Amino acid sequence: MSPATAGDVRLVDISKSYDGVPAVEAVTLEVPAGAYCCFLGPSGCGKTTILRMIAGHENPTAGEIRIGGKNVVGLSPSARRTAMMFQSYALFPHLTVRDNIAFALRVRGVSRAERHRAADQMLEKVRLTELAGRLPGQLSGGQQQRVALARAAITEPLVLLLDEPLSALDEQLRVQMRQELRRMQRELGITFIHVTHSQQEAIALADMVVVMAKGRIRQAGSAREIYDAPRDRYVAEFLGGQNVLHYEIDKVNGASVLLKGPEARSIEVPLNGHAGKLALVAGAPIDVAVRRDDIQLRRPGTAGLPGTTALSARVKAVEYQGYFVKVLLDAGSADELVAYVSERDFFRETLDVGDAVLATWKNDLSRLLVLGDG
Amino acid sequence: MRRYRRPWTFYALLALFVGYVAALYGPMLCIYVLSFQDVRGGLVFPMKGLSVHWFVDLFTQVRTGDVKGSFDRSIKLALMVMAITVVVSFLAGLGFRRRFRGDGVVFYAMIGSLVAPGLVLGIGIGLMFQFLGIQPSWTTSALGAQLSWTLPFGVLVMFAVMSRFDRRWEEAARDLGATRWQTVRLVVLPILLPGLIGVALFGFTLSYDEFARTLQTAGSLNTLPLEIWSMTLNVTSPSLYALGTVTTAISFLIIALCLGVIIHLQRRRAARADMGNVAGTEGPTP
Amino acid sequence: MREGAATRFAGLHRFASWLSITPLVLVLVPFFVVPMLAVVAASFMESDGFGGIIPHPTLDNYKELFTSGLTLNLYLSTLKFTILTWIFTFLIGFGVAYFLAFHVKSPLLSTSLFLVCTIPFWTSNVIRMISWIPLLGQQGLVNMVLTGSGLIHQPLKFLLFSDFSVVVAYVHQLTIFMIVPIYSSLARVDKRVVEAALDSGASNWDVLRLVILPLAKSGIALGSVFVTSIVMGDFFVVKVMSGGNSGSIVAALFENISVLQYPTAAAQAVVLMLVVLLIATIILRAVDVRREIAR
Repeated sequence: MSPATAGDVRLVDISKSYDGVPAVEAVTLEVPAGAYCCFLGPSGCGKTTILRMIAGHENPTAGEIRIGGKNVVGLSPSARRTAMMFQSYALFPHLTVRDNIAFALRVRGVSRAERHRAADQMLEKVRLTELAGRLPGQLSGGQQQRVALARAAITEPLVLLLDEPLSALDEQLRVQMRQELRRMQRELGITFIHVTHSQQEAIALADMVVVMAKGRIRQAGSAREIYDAPRDRYVAEFLGGQNVLHYEIDKVNGASVLLKGPEARSIEVPLNGHAGKLALVAGAPIDVAVRRDDIQLRRPGTAGLPGTTALSARVKAVEYQGYFVKVLLDAGSADELVAYVSERDFFRETLDVGDAVLATWKNDLSRLLVLGDG
Repeated sequence: MRRYRRPWTFYALLALFVGYVAALYGPMLCIYVLSFQDVRGGLVFPMKGLSVHWFVDLFTQVRTGDVKGSFDRSIKLALMVMAITVVVSFLAGLGFRRRFRGDGVVFYAMIGSLVAPGLVLGIGIGLMFQFLGIQPSWTTSALGAQLSWTLPFGVLVMFAVMSRFDRRWEEAARDLGATRWQTVRLVVLPILLPGLIGVALFGFTLSYDEFARTLQTAGSLNTLPLEIWSMTLNVTSPSLYALGTVTTAISFLIIALCLGVIIHLQRRRAARADMGNVAGTEGPTP
Repeated sequence: MREGAATRFAGLHRFASWLSITPLVLVLVPFFVVPMLAVVAASFMESDGFGGIIPHPTLDNYKELFTSGLTLNLYLSTLKFTILTWIFTFLIGFGVAYFLAFHVKSPLLSTSLFLVCTIPFWTSNVIRMISWIPLLGQQGLVNMVLTGSGLIHQPLKFLLFSDFSVVVAYVHQLTIFMIVPIYSSLARVDKRVVEAALDSGASNWDVLRLVILPLAKSGIALGSVFVTSIVMGDFFVVKVMSGGNSGSIVAALFENISVLQYPTAAAQAVVLMLVVLLIATIILRAVDVRREIAR
């Protein structure tokens, strides 16, 4: 087994139920060694359960977990070379920072001098050397997180598991600490699996984002893939930044498909490789995603450009967001339609609530979504 | 401006509180004061003289009864009860963390043991020993009877202490490679130490002062409370008060010692109690 | 195999729990369960008059007990003390607990004052009881102060060796049992709830009645169980503080023991415990005590 693959994590058809209630269902996933992988989803979606199963703190009801090619189910956490950073850190309140970090070595029987040396090295990596003699109760949230990280990393694990590490911090600190985590991961060179409910955090940090809902994976891929090309309505709505519109299939038109909308409106959406995968039955319902920042607002009555769709809409609300303005529109259907207009563009010609506009977008920028199961 | 002016209820309750504490400690203080009378002293005020006569009298006078011996036995018994109570309560506290079959039965048996009239239980134990043909004695039947009183307290204290113990500390230890025994030794015990000292305190003082259950089970040799009891029934001189002063002083000493250790441990541990290690994800404190 | 691993861990944990509980059970069974059963058993047997027990089942002990007028009197007398004690320990205990929980602002001070209240509990209760004697007697301190300052001309007789002194001794000893559970219940009340209630126009009395008392219910219940069962089961406070004027159920029981009438005493004990159990059950019905304690 080459060192390059030693830290890859493979979930093979993993399931977990508690008293017959499924928390995780038939999850299969492959995380390459050295990747920063984020599990993203609302609370109760099973992401923490999966993390704990990889860590060895829970056992799957079925399925295999392979780390570095070896099935680790049934092994203790230290035997499987994983280490976990707990939510709220779980630092031992009665031990100093140095002793907290050295703990893993202590239970392995390493001599005091040696383990203090190793701990001090770790302290340098997380830049907390002056706090070595303090107690956890005397540290700030960010400092505690670094100690927790050092404590987990000292065992030189193959995979580091992080359970919502930034949730307990306030906004500004969170953004700062994100960079710390990324830096540490690059320096240590090991696989990080990080569980979070914040999509912003996930797409900022991760090489690989895994979106989960109700115990199943909805989509796994790079951050850009997930954000720009969501697979289904759930992912699109969870990641934010997308409009999801409901239409009915009219007919296929070469490389794109014509869809019928409310008030007999028709739009054209490129197939983009969905041809073989979707059941393109006339009359069947389908979802379409259009990025909010891809919508251009024009005056009503402006001539339509070729290859674009234009919907008449009325401005429902306007929300200033700093570098962009969020405009909520009513296009006559039940779907929510939102446009992100760059701030400078907006203030060139301001819009008020009640104004009529044309919401336009290039057809190429719209995407078909797989109908998820809710 | 409710906040800046205390309502009248504050003063009323303050008066109640002060009155309560005064009534709580006051009578005892009278006893202590009266025990320092000289040889002319009687059982009531006014106080006659000032000396340690009655203390000397207590320990040197030949009388029916054996103050020194019972004092000795009480301390030894209390130490034994304390040790056993700490160990058993600790284990039981750990055991009760998960639900298991019969946990309700054990819990209610414990509460029953607490609430049962001491004398009745003492009689029952005496009867049991009689049925079995074993002679009751302060090292066996009284020990057991006192444990039936101290253990429920100890376990209840452990419940309170455990509820503030974050199980993730144990998980973290396990995650870092500690065996179950190492986890207990290096993480659980040190963190629970103040609570365990509290249990020890309970164990010692409850045993040291235990009366009703011990009455029927002590056998032929008295413990101190039994000795006090027989003196109470025949009280004729302030030597009884002297005994009261001495025994209370011992109790206060033990209490001060244990509390001192607990405070010392707490001070060393937490400078700020509300950062990070609180179980759950509370945000920044308001 | 994976299934096995999962259930094996669960089984191990359960076994470990049982193992942990074993020492406790090893004490409770021989020193609580069996003695209680022995008492129940003995209540159905005959006495040979010399302290021995003939294992001959009979209901005579109970018959005697229920037909004797003495039993009823004793129960009434003890119940009277129980109710009086309960009332005063509740009023004082709740007041003190409320003061500590709501009027003392610093948690450190609150805890320290609470400890100050509990410390006497850890000293001998016999001593604490007799310490009232030099205070309440006809030549006691209280009377001396009252006559000395001219408020009264004759020393008050009722202060000592009377019902009054019995209740005083009980309240002195047992208020702590009310304070502790009520204080811990009140300490968990979110102060903001009280603020919200006051903001919406409730009077202080309303807040007490509708918000605080319900939240303190479990503490009050627990305290009440302790107080009532201790008073019902007491034998020496009544004896000493009433100067022998009043008896109690257990004191009568004790007398039977002294003359080696074990079966009779056992029957009295069984009836007493049933009554105490009844009272405790009534009190606890409203509240799930275990959840409160084990939280």
